[in-house]
Amino acid sequence: MFLAIVPAYNEAERVGSVVRSLLAFVDDVVVVDDGSIDGTADVAKDAGAIVLSHKINRGQGAALETGHAYARSAGAAHVLHFDADGQFSVEDIPSALSALQEADADVLFGTRYGEKESNIPWTKRYILGPIGRIVDRIFGSVRLSDAHNGFRILTKKALDDVRIRQSGMAHASEIPALVKKHNLSYIEVPVSVTYHEYGQGIRGGITVVKDLFFGVFSK
Amino acid sequence: MIFQILFILFSLFALLNVIKRKQEGLLSTLGAFFWTGFWILADIVVFVPDSTTVFANKLGIGRGADLITYVAFALIFFVLFRLHVKLHELQRDITKVVRDDALKRITSNE
Repeated sequence: MFLAIVPAYNEAERVGSVVRSLLAFVDDVVVVDDGSIDGTADVAKDAGAIVLSHKINRGQGAALETGHAYARSAGAAHVLHFDADGQFSVEDIPSALSALQEADADVLFGTRYGEKESNIPWTKRYILGPIGRIVDRIFGSVRLSDAHNGFRILTKKALDDVRIRQSGMAHASEIPALVKKHNLSYIEVPVSVTYHEYGQGIRGGITVVKDLFFGVFSK
Repeated sequence: MIFQILFILFSLFALLNVIKRKQEGLLSTLGAFFWTGFWILADIVVFVPDSTTVFANKLGIGRGADLITYVAFALIFFVLFRLHVKLHELQRDITKVVRDDALKRITSNE
């Protein structure tokens, strides 16, 4: 079973079309509604998704891990991480999945830095991106060209090993670190990203570093 | 002398609080000993300020007051650090409860 996990927080406007377009490429779509107050869960359900609802907002990492827990119990062979805001293109899914299978790798990371078109803000491309890569390396990540890309595919083996403990955005640094820790094989594949919003800025970056730092000392 | 009097009044209040919390079972025996010792030591330092200079000189610090400042800063930073770690762990526990609830509800819907 190929399962798409879509963490969603107040994405009622876009999540319906994302779910419908995903269903053409995967077997099931699990939307993890992360405490939304705009009816995201109902929209996702109407579009055909399985909806898991967090009663309160816990962050993207927490939502992804909730999706993981569901995928493990459902016995999914592959899981896809896909954002609810429509920034990724579903057209990238078949080629990404076959690239993962051809390479016989455990994890696929999408990258904005390839031949595919992405309208990356220059501050992200030249300032936040390189800093993010350095921070990720310090916290034990494998070497990636795109530190924080939310497009990923995990095999069953990777799904068993990658247990996200970072509730917030630091999960994007934690996942490649877990890949390294568990000695999983990985590939990077270019995917297109269309920015509707700026996303994480400097303040978000500082929170990520803080979470990663205190995560090291937490039980 | 005003500071010394105010401080001893405050420390007596704190000591009474320690005894009260111990009697209510909110403080362990070790904790009660620690805080009693802490406030008695603080009183000694306030009434005999030069007592800290002896230790300070042994550590290569000129004044006792400086030693207290350094130790206080180090302790505050350590406590803040521990609090942050504890907060991080609490956040994880909350996430776990929220996740279990979400998974339980989907199971009961199926």
